[in-house]
Amino acid sequence: MDLAVEVENLTKRFGDFVAVNEVSFSVAEGEVFGFLGPNGSGKSTTIRILCGLLSPSSGHARVAGLDVWRDAERIRQRIGYMPQFFSLYDDLTVAENIEFYAGLYQVPPALALARQSELAEVLELGPVLDRLARTLSTGWRQRLALATSILHRPPLLFLDEPTSGVDPLTRRLFWEVIGDLAHEGITVFVTTHVMDEAEHCTRLAMMHYGRLIAEGTPEEMRTEHVQTMVEVQAHPIWPVLQALEKAPEVVEVALFGDAVHAELRCDLNDAEARVERKLQTAGVAYERVVAVTPSMEDVFVSLARRWERPTAAGADR
Amino acid sequence: MNYRRLLAVARTESIHNLRDVRSLFVIVVLPVVLLLLYGYGINYDLRNVPFAVQDLERTELSRSLIQHLVSSGYFQLRQVIHDQRQIAESLDRAAVVFVLVIPPDMGRRLGAGRPAKVQVLVDGADTTRASVAVGYIEGALLAFSGKLGAEYLARQGLSAAGGLDVRPVVLYNADLKSVRFIVPGLMAILLTLLSGLLTSTCIVREREWGSFETLVTSPALPPEILIGKILPYVVIAFADTLLSIGAGALIFGVVPVGSRLLLLFTSFLYLLASLAIGIFFSTIMRTQRLAILTTTLVTLVPTIQLSGFAFPIRSQPLVLQVISNFIPATHYLIIIRSLYLKGADLLVLWPRVLALLVFTVVLVTVAARRFRKQL
Repeated sequence: MDLAVEVENLTKRFGDFVAVNEVSFSVAEGEVFGFLGPNGSGKSTTIRILCGLLSPSSGHARVAGLDVWRDAERIRQRIGYMPQFFSLYDDLTVAENIEFYAGLYQVPPALALARQSELAEVLELGPVLDRLARTLSTGWRQRLALATSILHRPPLLFLDEPTSGVDPLTRRLFWEVIGDLAHEGITVFVTTHVMDEAEHCTRLAMMHYGRLIAEGTPEEMRTEHVQTMVEVQAHPIWPVLQALEKAPEVVEVALFGDAVHAELRCDLNDAEARVERKLQTAGVAYERVVAVTPSMEDVFVSLARRWERPTAAGADR
Repeated sequence: MNYRRLLAVARTESIHNLRDVRSLFVIVVLPVVLLLLYGYGINYDLRNVPFAVQDLERTELSRSLIQHLVSSGYFQLRQVIHDQRQIAESLDRAAVVFVLVIPPDMGRRLGAGRPAKVQVLVDGADTTRASVAVGYIEGALLAFSGKLGAEYLARQGLSAAGGLDVRPVVLYNADLKSVRFIVPGLMAILLTLLSGLLTSTCIVREREWGSFETLVTSPALPPEILIGKILPYVVIAFADTLLSIGAGALIFGVVPVGSRLLLLFTSFLYLLASLAIGIFFSTIMRTQRLAILTTTLVTLVPTIQLSGFAFPIRSQPLVLQVISNFIPATHYLIIIRSLYLKGADLLVLWPRVLALLVFTVVLVTVAARRFRKQL
């Protein structure tokens, strides 16, 4: 399978600050590649380098086999980019913004019109086509931004936190659209800091303080990095948290909704029984202890704790 | 170069201007206000200059001198002074521009064939007005004196002969109306101000809005973006040029005597040069305010102060005279004033047109080279 994106030892420095630190990964054509990590972990910087907006400090990045900085102009037509912040025109209507994009990407007028009505239907933009972009709320602006980025049917689509600040319904709609695009063979490179959204991706990479700390399918991420996870339900929940924090076989305890998730060392067949015994000896009341599949959030919390913040650039190398 | 992309940029830029109140103000209101302000407000011509008289002689002769001044149409008698102290008071209040003091022995001295001294006290606070007024008064008094001399000679049975008979002939602007001088100058000011104000924001604005990211990641090439962005302003600035030519003709009756084609061509060159300066600062400045401020400072101030619009270049210090050659407006002003007033043609004006052409090419090139598709 051909590679849509190849990144080798990519580093980006802003003065003393290392935003992206020796990152390497690749994305195959047709993948929905999820780029995860908290705010400030270097996701947006990486995506902006891949779109030719920023020059890499060192290392290489290629899109469709072309160097993203040297051959930037040859890549433009083949990629779609939806920036993290709304970067369309506030004083243009939704339709005018779409028309502007059609002009920039040379989508023939008739085809542009057909795609506009198609996108208007999928993203439910029909009723707001004649409204000025500045009068739209975040969710609608994001829908418009998504529509413009896929108007020219790019084989590779970069979405930088498309779902930030949008309501759950819009979020679901976005992932449906992303799924449809992938179905049509479009490679989607999407960043998010909402870990649950990672489940929609075919492959994931996790960024933390500028470094790539894990990579794999959602399944691999869950099973390889976090082996055993139990969920404890109790009222009140705090005594459970305190009791398990002290236990030697527990790697990590974290609140998860109204329950506690505890990660245990190595794969223990009797994990549930061990935790129950632990709680009983500590004299803590609980309702239920059950082994669970770790969520992406569990995986991230676990991985992030293992990778402490580097004190100075490259000091731990 | 792809025209579809270029036109997409141009169309969007036009919509920004049509929906922005400030832009509309600059495009429509500014030229009209400037034209009326400069055309009507600034007038170096003097009419009905108010003056006062202290007539110490009170004879038929002294009254005919006063009458001579009043009937010329340039002077208006406001006050007859009886007390010496009133002179300073009247000038201090700025009630009059000058005070004429006729000595008690004027008739006697003239009768005896000796020169008589008439005193004129002028308010010099406004130097321009004072010097113009002094010229008018001298002329009027000289004419009166000549008339007296001729009458004297006639009474003696002699005909007026000999002496200098000075008859200045003013070319190009025969009745010396300053509006003919100001309207062409105003076109230069207008094009400078308008082009600078409009384009100085057009790139930096995109950076502030965040929409520059959209342009950078798009396949549109730098020249397509740049030309697409300038195109609406070329149209606007050219329309405003036609507007001021039309207004000059209709409101002030000032029409170019020379080639209109050359007028349009050089105006086009000049507006391109001005737009290029605005674009240049728009690409290097980080905020709209800074871009507007710098552009205005760099273009408008030298254009008004140094180009010869307000002050003659020859009366400036040598350093400024040299600098004025590097201001596009200097050359443009000379060209359009020649076209408006003298009807000069390319055979005479070519060095200036060439200088303007060089400025335009250099400025557009610098602006284009500075423009990058980078954040």
